[in-house]
Amino acid sequence: MSAMSAMSLPGRAVRSALVLAVAVAASSCASAPPSQELLSARAAYRDASQSQAKELVPDQLLSARQALEQAEQEYNDDENSTRARTMAYVAQRKALIAMAGAGIMAAKKLFEDADREYREMLEQTRGALTKERAARKDVEAKLGAALKSLEEIGKVKEDSRGTVITLSGQVLFRTNAASLLPIAEQQLRKVAEALQETDESRKIVVAGHTDSRGSNVANRRLSLARAESVRAFLVQSGVAADRISASGRGEDEPIADNRSAEGRANNRRVEIIVEAAQSGKSEGGK
Amino acid sequence: MKTYVYLLCVCLGAALAGCGGAGPPTHQLTESNSAIRAAEEVGAANTPKAALHLKMARDHLRNAEALISDEEYDDAALVLKRAEADADLALALARETQARAQAEQAIRRVQELKREME
Repeated sequence: MSAMSAMSLPGRAVRSALVLAVAVAASSCASAPPSQELLSARAAYRDASQSQAKELVPDQLLSARQALEQAEQEYNDDENSTRARTMAYVAQRKALIAMAGAGIMAAKKLFEDADREYREMLEQTRGALTKERAARKDVEAKLGAALKSLEEIGKVKEDSRGTVITLSGQVLFRTNAASLLPIAEQQLRKVAEALQETDESRKIVVAGHTDSRGSNVANRRLSLARAESVRAFLVQSGVAADRISASGRGEDEPIADNRSAEGRANNRRVEIIVEAAQSGKSEGGK
Repeated sequence: MKTYVYLLCVCLGAALAGCGGAGPPTHQLTESNSAIRAAEEVGAANTPKAALHLKMARDHLRNAEALISDEEYDDAALVLKRAEADADLALALARETQARAQAEQAIRRVQELKREME
């Protein structure tokens, strides 16, 4: 029996010497060669004892060993009787059960590790999302304050397009010119600061508008040139160039009556439209 | 009267315990049957390796029943032991397959989440 427990010792030479010793010992007691069942049981136990079963399911491995010991005993006592062969058959199954048991434990460990990792990752994601949301709220608050400061130079409102800052043409340009007045530059710098506080995923459109005097084509060209000037200045003041585009709307989108001088003055304007953040799309970079 | 009953009990007990092969192996029959049922309940029939041993267990059980009806009780008891061992193995193999599948699924879930987060 001590030979059995020694079978888990490392070393091929040691093992084969032991196997030989066992075989000799066995043959001295029983004259018939071991049954197929017993040979299989020995092989299965050897496999099981070299598997993870030793660490993971020691009790099952022990039970397999005891079954094999009983089978060996029975073989020594009664050679290949039906009873001896049955015990070897059972011992072989027990060794396989121990190996399956080890497989179950190993798989359970893998499962638990993966499951823990999954839950930790979810937890982290949730934390990051909360942080992101808080940061966005902070930005929105800052933007709100920044935009409020713009109310002196233009009107700020929210509509379906997003946040719209309307600047009077009179403040920005001389009649029929597209270059910015010095005072306009001061004010646009404030606008640029406010825009830089906004979520980078929100696109900005600078739309130029004119009143209805003059030809349609000329108005469109002038409104585009003015929008381009404003855009160029905002980019120069730090707004990302790829976020912001210019568009000339000419006289097509009046907000007041073109028949009065006051109405026409209101229609000559530049709108800076900060489009609503696209939901579902992740925020880039900063 | 009491003495007679007592004696009868002793005789019966001795007969039953004396040479294990006296009666049909009802206890072992119950054990093997419940081991087979347990293997069936964990779905051993659905995993190839387990299904093989479940089939062996059922075949042994059938053979044992035939031996019992021939009153070959000793042999029947041994065949029933084989049935129980195979049923236990079928159960272990089925559980192993399931545990491995669960682990693989959990690992895949982690990998998918990692890919989504990139």
